[in-house]
Amino acid sequence: MTSEDNNTLVALSAAMADAVEKAGASTVTVDARQRMPASGIAYSAGLVLTADHVVERDEDLSVLLPDGSRVSAVLAGRDPGNDLALLKLSGAGLVAAEAAASPARIGQLALALGRPSPQGIQASLGVVSALGGPLRTGSGGLLEEYLRTDAIPYPGFSGGPLVDAAGRVLGLNTSGLARAVSLTIPVALAWQVAEALAQHGSVRRGYLGIRSQPVSINAAAQSLLGRSQVTGLLLVGVEESSPAEQAGLMVGDILVGLQEAVIDDPDQLLVRLSGSIVGQQAAVEVLRGGQPLKLSVTIGERK
Amino acid sequence: MNSLSFALADEMASLAASLQRSLVVLHNGRAGVGAGVIWKRDGWVVTNHHVVAAGRQSRAHRDLRVELFDGRVYPVRVAAQDEEIDLALLQVDGAFKNEQNHELPEVLVADVANLRIGELVMAIGHPWGQRGMVTLGLVSGIFAAKTQGRRGQVQVIRSDARLAPGNSGGPLVNASGRVVGLNTLIIGGDQGMAISSQVIDSFVAQSGMV
Repeated sequence: MTSEDNNTLVALSAAMADAVEKAGASTVTVDARQRMPASGIAYSAGLVLTADHVVERDEDLSVLLPDGSRVSAVLAGRDPGNDLALLKLSGAGLVAAEAAASPARIGQLALALGRPSPQGIQASLGVVSALGGPLRTGSGGLLEEYLRTDAIPYPGFSGGPLVDAAGRVLGLNTSGLARAVSLTIPVALAWQVAEALAQHGSVRRGYLGIRSQPVSINAAAQSLLGRSQVTGLLLVGVEESSPAEQAGLMVGDILVGLQEAVIDDPDQLLVRLSGSIVGQQAAVEVLRGGQPLKLSVTIGERK
Repeated sequence: MNSLSFALADEMASLAASLQRSLVVLHNGRAGVGAGVIWKRDGWVVTNHHVVAAGRQSRAHRDLRVELFDGRVYPVRVAAQDEEIDLALLQVDGAFKNEQNHELPEVLVADVANLRIGELVMAIGHPWGQRGMVTLGLVSGIFAAKTQGRRGQVQVIRSDARLAPGNSGGPLVNASGRVVGLNTLIIGGDQGMAISSQVIDSFVAQSGMV
């Protein structure tokens, strides 16, 4: 049998092990449910992002660090809609995970990591298989985007990271969003939720005060909009004293855009109305009598 | 496909080809029963205890034979076995020593103490009777698995390479082609568990045969 110790395969193997080592230093055990513990990602020196469904208790939470030490934690906030929860450790000392600079691409190598037991980091290899979203989740939420991989989601991997070949986080793995499959919440969304949970303890959902239904947009209106957008949201109701009414939106307007985003179905609107936009002045684009019109609305907060 | 992919594909194919030479098929009576790996060139094969244990009490056990990569078939005898760690050491009948290929293609054994989670591994065996089938994965975890015996626990390696019945007794190797473990489906009932080469080496040494 031959043995080539300096070939490409050996180098790739070492690179995979390096990626596991790097990302593993930021992957912790989250002990917050009855059955086996799950995993979590070090978001910062003192904060751990994990899956909401593995945090069954609100109290008596603890985290096992990669060095084997156990640290108690409190719940900083939950976002059940995206199956994310943020834990605050009683001490700092975590090595924050590094997010991948660019979004995941279909076909790229990806490693799923978890640390469900004190026996150390665990990993499985696959590729990014699909990108999708928005998705109505089992918990009644709306996941803006998700990734799927063919890496094996071993028991206790929920809350752990999916990383690229350099050990940078592509997303957070969870089996709690869809029945029978593990999905990955892309890191941009996961980090955005983590930031919101760190600041407010919850993810703020915006409020406009409209009722709407999807309608098609004719070719003439599309050409006035300057883009091919085949559907928009026809306003069939505007609540009194709502942000929408105060901005001058009227029944019969067709909502087609919010800030820079195209709004062509109700899920898109829900996605765009969450997070930091709440309380901000935002540009709303509508078609009124077939003509494009921009209005400014102050986004309210849904209680 | 760029040159890097070419190099990878080529190296993986060479690795698989060289491994297939060290893989054997075990026959018990008429049927192929599993895989084994040539541990020492002078006629020692390692496999799982459960692969050769099926016909222990019967006439079939005396018909245990090994089929080499080149089609040669020799009788083997069970020289040592340990049910607790699911290992068996087989001695190939000396007839092969009179042939042109009088040394068997033995495997190289990895130093498992230096094995890292995430290293690429290749598994080879005869899943569902498919001869010499190769699957790729990585080292998912290294564990101490509980055993039903005096050892209490033993080192096992979990990989995410796809395995099936018939992989039992076949090797799991690292990117340099060195054996890190013997694929064994029955430990813990979890597919993808291999008994560490560390355990095999000490089993072979303790047998006093080799």
